[in-house]
Amino acid sequence: MSHDDDFLDASVPEPLDEASPSERTHARTFADLVDKSLVGRAPAAMSAEDRALLEVATVIRATRGKAELAPARARSIVEDVLRGAVGAAAAAPAQVRSIATARSRRVAPWAVAGASTLVAAAAVLALWLRGPSTVEVVEVEAEADIPTSWTSRPADPLIGPIARAQAGDASARIDYMFADRLDGYRERRLTVAGRAAGGQGGTR
Amino acid sequence: MKSLNLIGAVIGVALLAVAMFVTGRLSAPGARVPVPSVTHVTDARDVIDDNLMVSLGQAKNFHRKAKVYMSDGNLAAATATVRQILSLSFPQGAPEADDVRLDARALLAKLLVMQGQLDEAMRTVDEGLASSQRESFFVANLYTVRGEILEARAANLDAEGKDKSVSAEARRSAIAAYDKSIQINEKLQKQLVEKK
Repeated sequence: MSHDDDFLDASVPEPLDEASPSERTHARTFADLVDKSLVGRAPAAMSAEDRALLEVATVIRATRGKAELAPARARSIVEDVLRGAVGAAAAAPAQVRSIATARSRRVAPWAVAGASTLVAAAAVLALWLRGPSTVEVVEVEAEADIPTSWTSRPADPLIGPIARAQAGDASARIDYMFADRLDGYRERRLTVAGRAAGGQGGTR
Repeated sequence: MKSLNLIGAVIGVALLAVAMFVTGRLSAPGARVPVPSVTHVTDARDVIDDNLMVSLGQAKNFHRKAKVYMSDGNLAAATATVRQILSLSFPQGAPEADDVRLDARALLAKLLVMQGQLDEAMRTVDEGLASSQRESFFVANLYTVRGEILEARAANLDAEGKDKSVSAEARRSAIAAYDKSIQINEKLQKQLVEKK
């Protein structure tokens, strides 16, 4: 600060006088300040005298036509002007929303929710009214034209009552049962009648 | 225009609800789904097939093998062999399966009695009676074997000098088992005669 005071308080030199060292130093410092402000890196703090001089320098530069806008800013201004020349409607078509659209946007979620609720309620109602499904168990009617000897059936008629003395004679009984069923099996598979019956039966 | 659209949407949803309601009502009570009976015993369509013959053949061979063991005095091996008959796979619903297994249980119980395993023998018989699907001569035979086991138990109690009332109770149970066997035999014989 004392430097500025000295500079301002000092006597005004003659135009043709040689610049003093302090003048040169001050001029170099101010030139740096101007350069920095031109590239947008001006210091946040500076003396009031420097700020006043810097504003004067900026005005002088602008009046000489050297000031240029940033390319993005310049393009934006040009586009704004062109848009204005074409018409106001084209200026911001996406920004304007009609009242009806806004209302429908407000109603849509409620409509979806309501429809979903109705469908769910209808489904619950249908399930409730449907009740437990009844399954009727039916006996499949027998095909009468298949001989009994071909069929799988209880062995009671074949074996008859089992005497106490033969209670453990299961071996003899299984032999008898096997022989009987084998007869039926062979009759069904090997005889003419059995082959003619062909695909009858076989299910269980 | 907007309100018309809204009314249309509501009508559409209402129609959907009505459709679901009607569908539910239609498919409800009167629907008859024919399902084969679980308790179905047999019918003429259940012919003797390869699987049944294979199962019967296996049971026959196990019985023969057990017989050889018995003739050799190897009751433990005979018992193990007869047990294998119980785990044989038969065609589903084949009445022969019930008959063969019940008969195998009767023989198994007698083998266990011969080895002094009365409790195990009784368990074998009771399991067979519980699993039987219908009354048959094989069920009657199993009741007969049950009576024999109870008789053997009473004899053991007497031999051990236990309370006479306990052995008498066992004998009464044996008589009840024999009676049950006789009752089933009579009923089935009567049915067979009526069929003829």
